[in-house]
Amino acid sequence: MTTTLTMGARLRRQVIARPEIIPIVLLVGAWIVLGLVGPSFLSFANLGNMFAFIPEFGIVALGMTLLLTAGVFDLSVGSVFGFAALIMFMLVNDAHVAPELAMLIALGVSMLIGLANGILVAKVGITSFLVTLGVALTVRGFGLYISEGFPEDTLTGESVLKTLLVGSGDIGSLTVYAGLFWFVVLAVLTYFLLNRSPRGNWITATGGNERSAIARGVNTANVKIGLFILSALLAGFAGIISSTRIGSAYAISGTGYELEVIAMCVVGGTSLYGGRGTIIGTVIGVILLRSIRNGIIVIGVPGLAYNMFVGLVILVAVILQALAERRGRVGL
Amino acid sequence: MAAPLVEMLGIEKHYGPVTALGGVDFSVGPAEVVGLLGDNGAGKSTLIKILSGAVSPSAGEIRFMGSEVRFRSTRDAIDAGIETIYQDSALVEQMSIGRNLFLGREPTRSLGPFRSIDRSYMEKTTRELMNRVGIMKAIDPRTPIASLSGGERQAIAIARAMFFEADLIVMDEPTNNLGVEEADGVMRFIREAKEAGHSSVLISHNIHHVFQVVDRIVVLRLGLRVGDMDRSQTSIQEVEELITGRPRPRG
Repeated sequence: MTTTLTMGARLRRQVIARPEIIPIVLLVGAWIVLGLVGPSFLSFANLGNMFAFIPEFGIVALGMTLLLTAGVFDLSVGSVFGFAALIMFMLVNDAHVAPELAMLIALGVSMLIGLANGILVAKVGITSFLVTLGVALTVRGFGLYISEGFPEDTLTGESVLKTLLVGSGDIGSLTVYAGLFWFVVLAVLTYFLLNRSPRGNWITATGGNERSAIARGVNTANVKIGLFILSALLAGFAGIISSTRIGSAYAISGTGYELEVIAMCVVGGTSLYGGRGTIIGTVIGVILLRSIRNGIIVIGVPGLAYNMFVGLVILVAVILQALAERRGRVGL
Repeated sequence: MAAPLVEMLGIEKHYGPVTALGGVDFSVGPAEVVGLLGDNGAGKSTLIKILSGAVSPSAGEIRFMGSEVRFRSTRDAIDAGIETIYQDSALVEQMSIGRNLFLGREPTRSLGPFRSIDRSYMEKTTRELMNRVGIMKAIDPRTPIASLSGGERQAIAIARAMFFEADLIVMDEPTNNLGVEEADGVMRFIREAKEAGHSSVLISHNIHHVFQVVDRIVVLRLGLRVGDMDRSQTSIQEVEELITGRPRPRG
């Protein structure tokens, strides 16, 4: 069968069957260009530094990928990212709660926010855009109000949590942070959930054709509610890692992350319209956008031109995806 | 007649002041194909949604295999043995044939502490099933539904109902948007399902298609049952008159 296909047709078929191919090509291309223009981009010191930031977006993007696949999205992840850490730091610093317990409470609060999102979307039937926009403003505003707009200081005292969340180790001359470990573990788990487990089938069907999924006995409302809870939990966890690494929690941290994270998912090949999502693509999308952000600074592009390049890369990626898709539909 | 497989008695459904069904009796016997006909708004869809668990009735009783049942969800009806194939919405286009066939009932095997979809079983069974419903072309079970023709899609939806040993297969407009050959294929599957012992309910605007395969015809008009007769005892003209509620000029 393959002998009758031209080289181009075969390539196109591969691109359609594997939505990750386009972001991989873009990533390799970006690394080659950035490495040639600014050789220090590919140094261990720079890569280690770049990969320190990647998990904080990446963990949020994993949850977002699942939501997008189910046909909804969550604009409140940036707010939860800031709020969860703020709650944890306030509990530790002001109420003298043990950091481990404070973290559990903060993650529990994140899950409740996700539950609220999920119920309003799946049970009350409001579009996820409006629900999560409202929740995002509410959570952000509440965080600013209770913290009076000031950052919370460094966590007092030592805790094993700091090692678990933001510790680092050297592999040769490459410094690896604990966040990267969590990102890898969570990526493997979410990959399994989406691609290998029965629930992944339900997630894709919920976003692909909800009526059909319901007719097959899939409880699509519970699928969405579960994913909103998971997404908020991951956003809160990523926020706690970020604030612990920086050493202070601020109510406005994570501002704008929601759109950047959605861009990472879409660049990686996940559809904004539901029914098609790829965890591998998202991991590549996260690395790609962070590489561009990091590389632009390393090669000395003026700071003011920075967003322009990020925007252009997003546009190139989505145009390539759209062209590939027009020639045939993507299966899973 | 043998004891009916499903019996719906005095089914009523009210939406506020609007009466969609005003006390309808409907039954299907074992290995019987029943055509459910009626104009738009006659209550066909509502009756079928009640039978498939998507809508709960305001009043009335459903008996399945002799005992009263109360479906709170489509899942309940599927578990009882009623598979509903809705027009256009039966399959998820972005997903593969195999994943669609097993949607909601994925075969699993254990993978450490988790349950993983058993893909080799899924793909093997999908191949066998496609042969059984007459898709002779070698189609990879991993092919997305989006690249199949309308007839192939209906065949797969019907194959799914047959595979899961549904006692009753409900089809809402299965020949809509299909070419002549594809519609014939669907008719053939309905006959094969009957021979294999499955009962079917067929809802269609196309009276000619209905007459080709059904044993009995039930006509609804304005939420009431206005006709219930053996196909051999009636004519297309009589059924049309019942549907519209006025005699058609002869000539």
